[in-house]
Amino acid sequence: MTSDISTAPLAAPKPALPSTRELAMGKRIWLATRSSPWFLLGAGLFGLLLLMALVSVFVFQVDPTKMNFVDKFTPPIFSEGANPAFPLGTDQLGRDMLSRALVGLQITFLIGLAATALSFVIGSAVGLYAGFVGGKIDQLLMRVVDIQMSIPPIILAITILGLARATPALVIAVLVLATWPNYARLTRAGALAERGQEYVRAARVLGASDIRIILLMVAPVALPPMAFAAVFDLARMMIFECVLDFLGIGLQPPTPTLGVIIADGRKYLINAWWIAVLPGVFLMLLLLSLNMMGTALERARNAVFEGAK
Amino acid sequence: MIATFSFLARRLSQGALIVFLAALIVFTLLRVGPGDPARMLAGGLSDQASVDALSEKMGLNDPFLVQFGKYVGGIVLHGDFGQSYIRSESGLSVGGGHGDDQTRSDRADVLSLLGSRLPLSLGLALAGLGLALLVSAPIGIYAGLRAGKWQESLSIMGSSLLVSMPSFWIAGLLVLLISIKLKWLPAVGYEGPRYLILPAIVLAIEMAPIFIRTWSSAISSMTRRDFVRVAPVRGLGQRQIFSRHVLRGAAVPFINTLGVMLTSLIGSLLVIEFVFDFPGLGKLTVEAVLQRDFPLVQAIAIIISAFFVLVNIAVDFVSGLFDPRLDY
Repeated sequence: MTSDISTAPLAAPKPALPSTRELAMGKRIWLATRSSPWFLLGAGLFGLLLLMALVSVFVFQVDPTKMNFVDKFTPPIFSEGANPAFPLGTDQLGRDMLSRALVGLQITFLIGLAATALSFVIGSAVGLYAGFVGGKIDQLLMRVVDIQMSIPPIILAITILGLARATPALVIAVLVLATWPNYARLTRAGALAERGQEYVRAARVLGASDIRIILLMVAPVALPPMAFAAVFDLARMMIFECVLDFLGIGLQPPTPTLGVIIADGRKYLINAWWIAVLPGVFLMLLLLSLNMMGTALERARNAVFEGAK
Repeated sequence: MIATFSFLARRLSQGALIVFLAALIVFTLLRVGPGDPARMLAGGLSDQASVDALSEKMGLNDPFLVQFGKYVGGIVLHGDFGQSYIRSESGLSVGGGHGDDQTRSDRADVLSLLGSRLPLSLGLALAGLGLALLVSAPIGIYAGLRAGKWQESLSIMGSSLLVSMPSFWIAGLLVLLISIKLKWLPAVGYEGPRYLILPAIVLAIEMAPIFIRTWSSAISSMTRRDFVRVAPVRGLGQRQIFSRHVLRGAAVPFINTLGVMLTSLIGSLLVIEFVFDFPGLGKLTVEAVLQRDFPLVQAIAIIISAFFVLVNIAVDFVSGLFDPRLDY
């Protein structure tokens, strides 16, 4: 295991991305990401799933909540007794599993994307402002972040969702509440590093307002390196949403979210394994695509940062 | 020594403040929500007068801050987290105290409820964490030493795949394969250490990929450092370079990840215990929320945020021991 240590470091270090030194940070990370096979594979998979979720709204005329007792417990196509009308089989009420899974996918997409976008915007706004302005405001905002982060997300979620009936908006709000402090912390560090830079002082001298400097100058430098965190977070939000539904404190049946379907299907694991297992495959592929893209972004970011030293 | 002491004193006092505020937030959230605990306790068919009497007796009519003050006072002065709204004390040992108070004495003490569930959760957590660490360290370190080669790609691919499997789904899959089809291990409840195995495996599947990634990226970035690259020139053997420089440097990111994982462990336990019907703290928490057992929810939230704070302090402290350049 140790035999590689002397050879690995002495091998020529990979050249930092050539001739991109003039480019903005975000562009350089993106250039390095775009060529990664991980990213392409992940993005392709993600695009395919997104397309399936979107198209299913228009193409499938099957109602995901329509019951059909004659066809209940139809197994999926590759097993015995299957019915081609239901490629992924049906559940205990004869509802089509494929259309249910695709609607579940839509809900997961919607909630995950909305929650990630909102927490990114709120968290980075707070972080940029706190880091840039500094002083008492920074102290105060960061203490708020500390307190928020000391409440475990799952406890926060179940406390709030235990009190009120879960709606998609409330679930999004809970996810945002649990996640924005991470972004605040990350962007604050970036903004803090930029505030003393010459270009910021120059802009000040020219009479630019704080907001203008933050939005036009600091944000484009401080935000792109966090893109990978947002992609990983999207995956985390999606799992979290499904977990809440699964535990019975998130969205409720008959809404066919992936968490609800899997929780439901668990009762029929012995006789009809596909009800719980197949929707999970969709969820897993979705998370896999995000994790692959996130990994590619993270590696590109690290390469750019290390090369820049 | 003095620096260490002042670090601990400062961080602990900050931590105490944070836990206090977290307690206030959770307490407030639970009070503003719908539902009258006195009505719930007295039972749906009780007349309004007895509900009111009970409400008065429980202090629910006091101003909000007085209620909170009494609650915090009970915790700080007597270590008393109150009594469960729902659970009776039958089958549970309760420390003496409120024998004179009929409305309280037949309800389970929150702290002893938690205490009775803690050992099982702790056992599960240690088993899962231990398994994850045992598997991830060799894989991650090896992959890190082979950075840029197929071994590293394989480990990234494998850990991406594992991290993409939601625990509640993989749990169902394992139950289907190992318990139902193969009948190797029991899946539901707890009647002995054999019942720990499947939940611990699921927990390990959730945590191992993250440790693998941390090890591999930390090790590979250490091997590129100048002080490691010139170490052979200083006459150090590979073993020494590995253990003194590479491993020691990689320990800091590892400890940070360990801290993050310890805090996220709570959420994982909650889901896994729920799936396997495992009678630990996590299942108790879900049940407490679904039954609106506020004293229990409150106590769990406060204890967990205290745990969060302590883990974070410990992480910073231990990182400082491994890398003296880090400022506490």
